[in-house]
Amino acid sequence: MQAKPLGLVFFPAFDWAISPTHPEREERLLYTRDQLVEEGLLDIPGIKEYKPRLAKIADAERVHIGVPDIASLITDAHLVSAGGAITAAEAVVSGDVERAFALVRPPGHHAMRVVHGTRGFCTINIEAIMIEYLRRQRGIGRVAIVDTDVHHGDGTQDIFYHDPDTLFISFHQDGRTLYPGTGFTDEAGGPRAFGTTINLPLPPGTTDEGMHYILDNLVLPILADFAPDLIINSAGQDNHYSDPLAGMAVTAQGYARLADKLKADIAVLEGGYSIEDALPYVNTGIILAMAGLDYRRVVEPDIARAPKSIARNTAYIEKLVRQQMGLWQNRFSLSRQACTKAGDYWQRQRHIYYDDSSISEQQLERVRVCTKCHGFITVESQSNGDYQGDYKSIFAAIIPREPCAACRQQAKDAALLAKTQGQFQHYIIQDKENDFVERL
Amino acid sequence: MRKRGNTMLLGIDVGGTFTDAVVISNAKILAQAKYATTHGDLMEGMLAALDLVLSGIDTSQIQRVALSTTIVTNTVVEGKTDKVALVLMPGPGLDIAKMVPQEPYIISGYVDHRGREVARPDESEIKVVCRKAEKIANFAVVGKFAVRNPAIEQAVAAMIRQYVAPAYITIGSEISGSLNFWRRTNSAYYNSAVWRQFGIFATAVNQALTVRGITAPVYVLKADGGTLPLDTARNYPVEAIFTGPAASVLGIMALAAPEGEAVSLDIGGTTTDIALWRDGVPLFAERGAVINGYPTAVRSFWLSSVGIGGDSLVRRQGGVLAVGPSREGPPMAVGGPKPTVSDAMIVAGIASFGDHAKAVAAMAQLAEGEQDVKLIAKEVLQVAAGKITTAIGDMLAAKAAEPVERVADIISSNTIQPNLVVGVGGAAAGIAPLVAAQLGVKVKVPKGATVANAVGAAVAKPTLAVTFRADTEERYFTVAELGLQDKLENKRVSLNDAEILAKKYLAERAAQAGIGVGKMETVYAEEFNLVRGFQTVGKIITCQQQIKPGVFTDVAIEEGE
Repeated sequence: MQAKPLGLVFFPAFDWAISPTHPEREERLLYTRDQLVEEGLLDIPGIKEYKPRLAKIADAERVHIGVPDIASLITDAHLVSAGGAITAAEAVVSGDVERAFALVRPPGHHAMRVVHGTRGFCTINIEAIMIEYLRRQRGIGRVAIVDTDVHHGDGTQDIFYHDPDTLFISFHQDGRTLYPGTGFTDEAGGPRAFGTTINLPLPPGTTDEGMHYILDNLVLPILADFAPDLIINSAGQDNHYSDPLAGMAVTAQGYARLADKLKADIAVLEGGYSIEDALPYVNTGIILAMAGLDYRRVVEPDIARAPKSIARNTAYIEKLVRQQMGLWQNRFSLSRQACTKAGDYWQRQRHIYYDDSSISEQQLERVRVCTKCHGFITVESQSNGDYQGDYKSIFAAIIPREPCAACRQQAKDAALLAKTQGQFQHYIIQDKENDFVERL
Repeated sequence: MRKRGNTMLLGIDVGGTFTDAVVISNAKILAQAKYATTHGDLMEGMLAALDLVLSGIDTSQIQRVALSTTIVTNTVVEGKTDKVALVLMPGPGLDIAKMVPQEPYIISGYVDHRGREVARPDESEIKVVCRKAEKIANFAVVGKFAVRNPAIEQAVAAMIRQYVAPAYITIGSEISGSLNFWRRTNSAYYNSAVWRQFGIFATAVNQALTVRGITAPVYVLKADGGTLPLDTARNYPVEAIFTGPAASVLGIMALAAPEGEAVSLDIGGTTTDIALWRDGVPLFAERGAVINGYPTAVRSFWLSSVGIGGDSLVRRQGGVLAVGPSREGPPMAVGGPKPTVSDAMIVAGIASFGDHAKAVAAMAQLAEGEQDVKLIAKEVLQVAAGKITTAIGDMLAAKAAEPVERVADIISSNTIQPNLVVGVGGAAAGIAPLVAAQLGVKVKVPKGATVANAVGAAVAKPTLAVTFRADTEERYFTVAELGLQDKLENKRVSLNDAEILAKKYLAERAAQAGIGVGKMETVYAEEFNLVRGFQTVGKIITCQQQIKPGVFTDVAIEEGE
């Protein structure tokens, strides 16, 4: 039994739920726990289990701007799951293990930069918190995230949209058919980071075959090209044919082979709500594959009901791959064109919906198109809660990790000006260079 | 126990070096004897020790005999195990065929995590297995998730009996009611592999005791510190592995049970066994004992072994004093070749045996220049204690780093902060106080510490466990250890009801095994609501109960004994 050393942070949060009958409830990883324990996976030499640490509020505020602050929006469970991702990453970066899997909940990939509440079961983005922790504490530079959850990883996309050092690839069920309704091919990154956000909306019914076609012909070649220091897998498991919240047709074998090919340094669990029929098998498959063990016998009892590929889908996927490969290959010239088109500032106005918190947010985001740094960002955000008339607003200025002097100064000026004008309840400067949050 | 005044308990511990026997009466050691363990035939040394300890004792007064023996360990270590026809139903998942002690026969049929039969065992496959395994005397049958539906293993065993007549078939779910197919498989294999040897041993013990006029019930110690009647243990021999350290821990419980959080040390000839205690009870290993490198489901105390003992070699390495883990013979004071920890104890005035001058010579070998031999002896003991202190620190850190499943358990950390060191074993007096000083806590080295193991065996209480699990949606419950799966009459069963039922079945199992129920305790309990389509459709409740391990009586050793 020769396993490649795999770190495993298994934290099922058996005492935490969004609400008693919510898909994110105590029971979610019960059957996964049963399967992992019954298989004896935690006894295999080379699979090393770690207890999650508690992330600090500062770890979350390195990424997020909470309205009014992160502490009032989260529970301890969120700090454990973010801490679990950090623990997994530390095990890899310190050389203790070759790869690691943070099998933790609650999930995080729908949590955006600005947080008013919980959306898509997520409040804080545990992968983003882990990545920015690694950059700050461990000097990690280029990172690639492959989001294999069935839902578009809109939160992760939002956080790294203007960061050319973070490649975000998400394949998911087409936003026209599923929450959160985004993740189309034209969402390709801010002008300075154009092409480092790659969306692959897939038709319902996509099978192992379709997923692996994308992996072999697009994802793996792009990863080789980008040459990141670390590959992160946002390992959602709801592309499974039995998932009750989505309509895809991937199997445990499909996911295990994906983990085998992707060779992510760190995988972090995201969604997956077929808690009995999929999760026990998908997680076992991923763990075995990441540990370099034989996963071929991990087969769902009801595999006979997994749908077969549809010719129409295959043709669509092949076309999608060609199109996105073209975008990747031309990304530098496309980025220059986007910068020219944007002028001094790129901006977008968005409406963001928090399904779990019954909140609607209006957001105006502006980024300085800067030739010397990633450009400072300002966000004007206002939210309305449901029937209680809750209104929250904030003006945030974000100084990037390695800012030029002009962007640093202008970010501060913008925040001070907004404060003087007084149209918001809260004013904040998130200084990523000095790892510091200033409330005005 | 009838009249307490006349109660006599006989305890025998067959250790690696010595076989100890004690008779305990009125919470005191009435007699004790020591005899060199006879490795070729354990019975020989055991009977010698027995006869020594019984001289002058009215054997008709003996109420209970308990053995801690290395018979199972020896059978495994010396490769005297029998071949086993290991029949597995692995279902989907990890392929463990190459991870078990013997090549298994893989057959189809399995149940899922809810105990639902997904595929039925195929009788034609079993027929083929029986033909191939025709000459093998013992079988073991283990199915994935069979603890959630023991019927599947029983059905396979019944089919096997139609074609062949094995001496014994170990059923995985009877060996352990806990999840972990790999561990249950290894346990079941070893159980069948040592079954015959243990049976021979049990018969010999019964005969020997009868010849000596002892009619009291005979128990064997298990790795979890409990006892089983010898005749019940014939079918669970794997439980009787690694009983030496368990006996020692029980001995500590009887001689000087530490209150609160504590650490105990059994400092022997070559090793020190460390155990952690909470509320007067030693901590158990999280999952089970490892036999010959194979993880098993055999419950055992959580012990850490460090290579420091009275015979540990002391030398200078690059000018620095080094102690253990190697041993190159007995202490120089008794004619050994090299300086040892015991020589240091003699020179430091903590021990007095052998030739004092030779012990001084041993320390002189280690001295630098004109260094005083007493000082060097103290330094040796500090170094030895330091290694134990480090090992204790590692255990405490491992405890704090133990993964948990609930947010509450992260917020309230699961650490142990010992406030007492209890030392037993030959070298305890010399080293335990130094370890305690290094940890900054109190120390206790009880009298009689050198026969703690035999005392532990003599006074150990019987233990047993059952795992009650109810699935109210599927409307059934199981008690794996009893091979029981039945319809759940009450769909509204609560965790509280589950606890009551678990206790009832534990009492039933205890009656089957011929032991009293004693004090029961919940080892593990959990309760989950099952939600399907936003509706609560049932509960899954698990409650594991055990008869609490412990000792019948505290044992006090009076001055001068």
